Amino acid sequence: MTEQDSGDRIREEGNLREGVPEGATPEEKFIYHGVVHDHGRDDTVEFIDVVKAFGRNRVLDGLNLGVPDGLITMILGPSGTGKSVCIKHIVGLLYPDEGDVLVQGDSVPDMTDDELFAMRKKFGVLFQDGALFGSMNLYDNVAFPLRQHTEKSEDEIREIVSKRLREVGLGGAEDKMPNELSGGMRKRAGFARALVLEPQIVLFDEPDSGLDPVRTALLCDLIKEVHEENGGTYIVITHDIASARRTPDYMAILWRGKIVEAGMRHELFESENPFVRQFLSGESAGPLGME
Amino acid sequence: MVRSAADRAFLPAKNLFEQVGDMMILTGKTIMSAIRPPYPYGGEFMSQFLFALKLCWFPLLISTIAFGYGAPGVQAANFLTLFGALDRLGGFFVLASIREFAPWVDAMIVAGVAGTAITADLGARKIREELDALQVLGVDPVKNLVVPRFLALMLITGLLDIYALIFGIFGGVVAEFVYHQDLAGFWATFFTNASVTDLWGSVVKTTLFGGIIAIVCCYKGMTASGGAAGVGRAVNEAVVIAFSGIWAFNYVFTQTLLATHPEILVIR
Ligand SMILES: Nc1ncnc2c1ncn2[C@@H]1O[C@H](COP(=O)(O)OP(=O)(O)OP(=O)(O)O)[C@@H](O)[C@H]1O
Ligand SMILES: [Mg+2]
Repeated sequence: MTEQDSGDRIREEGNLREGVPEGATPEEKFIYHGVVHDHGRDDTVEFIDVVKAFGRNRVLDGLNLGVPDGLITMILGPSGTGKSVCIKHIVGLLYPDEGDVLVQGDSVPDMTDDELFAMRKKFGVLFQDGALFGSMNLYDNVAFPLRQHTEKSEDEIREIVSKRLREVGLGGAEDKMPNELSGGMRKRAGFARALVLEPQIVLFDEPDSGLDPVRTALLCDLIKEVHEENGGTYIVITHDIASARRTPDYMAILWRGKIVEAGMRHELFESENPFVRQFLSGESAGPLGME
Repeated sequence: MVRSAADRAFLPAKNLFEQVGDMMILTGKTIMSAIRPPYPYGGEFMSQFLFALKLCWFPLLISTIAFGYGAPGVQAANFLTLFGALDRLGGFFVLASIREFAPWVDAMIVAGVAGTAITADLGARKIREELDALQVLGVDPVKNLVVPRFLALMLITGLLDIYALIFGIFGGVVAEFVYHQDLAGFWATFFTNASVTDLWGSVVKTTLFGGIIAIVCCYKGMTASGGAAGVGRAVNEAVVIAFSGIWAFNYVFTQTLLATHPEILVIR
């Protein structure tokens, strides 16, 4: 695409966002203009002009995103753009400096502690490094949410936990402590723990990083299977393109604290945005460099 | 330009005040949360109490005897022999050991041994995102982690104060032996000067020291950031802040106690 073309397109669409760097070339402006394709559903989670800075580092810089109800949404973006920070805003572990985060229409930053705890019961979260409790073995880790939030008997718990651990290929590792496991195994155990309560909203922070390609593919299938079985809204963070091709219904691409483009999977794979194209084809030539 | 220079000069101080403010808030939250039902922290309280006891009893034994013998014992005895008044050492130990040295050594040991262990433990959990995971799973870290540590450290520091007193005085007794003095004079002046006020003052003071240590160390652990190096930094800062807090509080407490109970100022 030439500079002339992209310049024309921006004028055409006329929805240039604020916060585009000064002195940006028309091509760069095109990258930033933040097209959000409609998904025709309610938003389960909504980011409204969210700004979050750590010191001088503005990680989220006017983020606007709606996560459609009942679908698998995948958030992609280069390393260090604030994907994990996004997830922490949704469950109220971080608060925005400006803007608002809504979960099913309620503002997370405005919630009292009690409301926040009640809201979190709807969630299952897989943290980037698994976040297993170091003082408990795998079995107790996965059983923890059941013991915390349900009145199930120890037999029922055993059945559910064993099933979840078998699904992720950790059937024989129930007695192992987290520090005896590989990174990939910890991640899979965290995955099992996130799903054990069959929550309405599940957040996966890079379920596929640290796994071999075959297990990645199997895990993606598992996400789809569980989603078909239980329904609910799933948000999956990744930078794995192979996962992006098979897992999500809806996709959002994040860069420098903003949405570059969001839409249904086919819409993004057909995008003309040079950044999106580079990212989804994994090429070295394009707007994204090492920086 | 002026602003950034001023920022750089005052930022550490501002940061410190902010942290102290945050710790005050944490103290309030901890007390509220300890009182408000439910009370799920019994097991953690016991394990923290036993853990601190296991870590502290031996270092405290060694340091109180050594300190009691070395500083108030030998030094004061040396001075008192000038006046042929070595029997006064017992009275001096009431002032020195019960009022200051025992609480002080006790707090240093608890902060340095148990407090640092708490900061390192919570810091590592924070870094591994365990604390985030706990919160998302509906577990309140203040109620389930801070409250039991707060109560356990208060109890243990208070109890270990009595233990530190006993062995501190034992250090003084050893000093008497070294000066070939029999103990009758030591005990006589000790008991004429000792008062119940001194004893409860000492225990209450150290119990509150325990609270300070717990809050500082939990706060520093739970706000650690920046990987393993960050945990190391947190431990280091926790010790410095806890010690400073204890010294400042000690001054206020002792002054208040002396002002409200002037009879213990009279040396008999
Ligand atoms: N608690 C924090 N304090 C300070 N800076 C933070 C904090 N959390 C995140 N950051 C910064 O925010 C930026 C985004 O971090 P984040 O972890 O969200 O990246 P990411 O998109 O998840 O990257 P990756 O794909 O590598 O996981 C980074 O520059 C990071 O240094
Ligand atoms: Mg991340």
